[in-house]
Amino acid sequence: MSISAPRYTSGPLPRLGRDSRVMAIASREFHHRAQWTVLVPVTLTFMTVVLTTVVNVFFTSLVGTVTSATFTAAVSSPAWPYLMLIVTATVGAGTLADDVGSRAITLYLSRPVRLLDYLVAKTVGCGGWLLIAALGPGVLAVGITAALGYATATVALEAAGGFLVVGLLAAVFFAGLAIALSSLTNRALYAGVTIFGLVLTLDIGASIVAGISGNSQVGYADPVANVLAVAHQAFSVSGTSSLDPGVSAAILLLSGVAMWIFAGWKLRRVEVIAE
Amino acid sequence: MTAVIEASDVTKRYGEVLGLNGFTASFEPGITGLIGPNGAGKSTFFRLVEGQLKLDSGQLSVLGNPTWGEGAFRRRIGYCPESSAMFDWMTGEEFVIALLRLDGFPKAEARERAFRAISTVDLVSSRERRLGTYSKGMRQRLKLAQSIAHDPDLILLDEPLNGVDPLGRATLSALLRDLQSQGRHIIVSSHVLYEVERLTDQIVMIANGRALAQGDLHRIRDLIDAHPHVIDLDTPDPRALARTLGTLDHVVSIEFPGPNQLRVRTRSPDAFYQALPDLVLQEHADVRGLRSLDDNLDAVFRYLSEGGR
Repeated sequence: MSISAPRYTSGPLPRLGRDSRVMAIASREFHHRAQWTVLVPVTLTFMTVVLTTVVNVFFTSLVGTVTSATFTAAVSSPAWPYLMLIVTATVGAGTLADDVGSRAITLYLSRPVRLLDYLVAKTVGCGGWLLIAALGPGVLAVGITAALGYATATVALEAAGGFLVVGLLAAVFFAGLAIALSSLTNRALYAGVTIFGLVLTLDIGASIVAGISGNSQVGYADPVANVLAVAHQAFSVSGTSSLDPGVSAAILLLSGVAMWIFAGWKLRRVEVIAE
Repeated sequence: MTAVIEASDVTKRYGEVLGLNGFTASFEPGITGLIGPNGAGKSTFFRLVEGQLKLDSGQLSVLGNPTWGEGAFRRRIGYCPESSAMFDWMTGEEFVIALLRLDGFPKAEARERAFRAISTVDLVSSRERRLGTYSKGMRQRLKLAQSIAHDPDLILLDEPLNGVDPLGRATLSALLRDLQSQGRHIIVSSHVLYEVERLTDQIVMIANGRALAQGDLHRIRDLIDAHPHVIDLDTPDPRALARTLGTLDHVVSIEFPGPNQLRVRTRSPDAFYQALPDLVLQEHADVRGLRSLDDNLDAVFRYLSEGGR
């Protein structure tokens, strides 16, 4: 170990702004999550949505007219929300929990980084993967079918719009869910299991309660049902969901934002956990 | 002389738990040791100084600035946390660069600074290894590197000597003195007095969230010496040894905690340790063991916190 301290040039130093510092954290988070545990479910999501959509559009084009509703095959089945759920659990569970558990959060906050900046950056890093999983496959499927001539430009654009709406809403909801549950523990595994368990419980529980009570409005408590209701509307598939797509969209959006705000509130109290 | 940190009646609560309880102290320029047992409030104080925590009451001024909410001000502070808070998936170099980027340094500048700081702590050959493979001593050195890489005015080192081998301690001390000679102010926390007394004569003692004593190390030593020092002796004939030791004027009290044990309280440990071998030889006493209970500073802290100051 040497015994001389480094000498730095004196005078004003070039420092980048707040947005650059936020992006430095976000970029670090995004790259850190690029592990097989994330890449496998993301790839599965791509394969499922792209294959289902392209095959469905192809066969429809042989026997009839392709419309935007033709593209709904992949995202209007429960498989897609559940694949998104797996991506959420693997990407988002450790977003805050890892830093709180290792106390590395004290290193972030010892820098000129505000708590809000930290939370935004972490959300961007985690949300980036969710957006890729939510939007990427649909847009790619639309591109492939349009390029192969199975769908007209107008239909392709309508379908892309549908994927955009559903994907964005799902990404907001799942990002808020991941951040909120990750803020509750210092172990990523616990957060991941809770993310999966909570949505599964709401999905199955709401179906059972709706079946017993005969009240379909209970479905609004089910995130999967809300995603499907929005998907049906976005792709102009009518009469397949008992939920109002507008209300479902509002629930997904507002609950996602509310869970994110909750995480911010919880993070303010992280000093107690970290001490 | 203007104080680097001025704390006046600073209180910080964690719910029902008091982190700092009316902490009042003044940290002068140069190196200062913050000495206190585990749980005394040292880390809480550091996190208040760098603005990570908001104080509940009192006043805290660091380099002439209030701390809370002053994000940009943190650029002037380097913080080396006690915990091995790191990102194990990163290499040592990536770790320092990542934190420099949070200070707002462009990539090229961050890379250059990281290399210099890593060179300073002699980790160049390990800089491309993942942190998960670093030893505790290497982690301490890398944490130190990240705390000085952005050229801060004030460096807070929370238990930096934990896990560092003797050679590392000596060179770390030299490095800190070098930083001091460059005009940096350094606060080193520790729960072991002798670790810090090699670095500086300026000491602040903290226990139960309060500053118990502050100032020159020799003044603190005087306070400690005024506190009766407890020594346990193992002997098959404690009463005979007690009669001999009772003749020493600095021995305050003698107890018999066990059948073969003697507990002596002395106001002058140096004189006691000097006189003991001669007494043992003269009286043919059979002393089989000797323990200074006050080697652990906890006893001194308890004494001071119970009104000894």
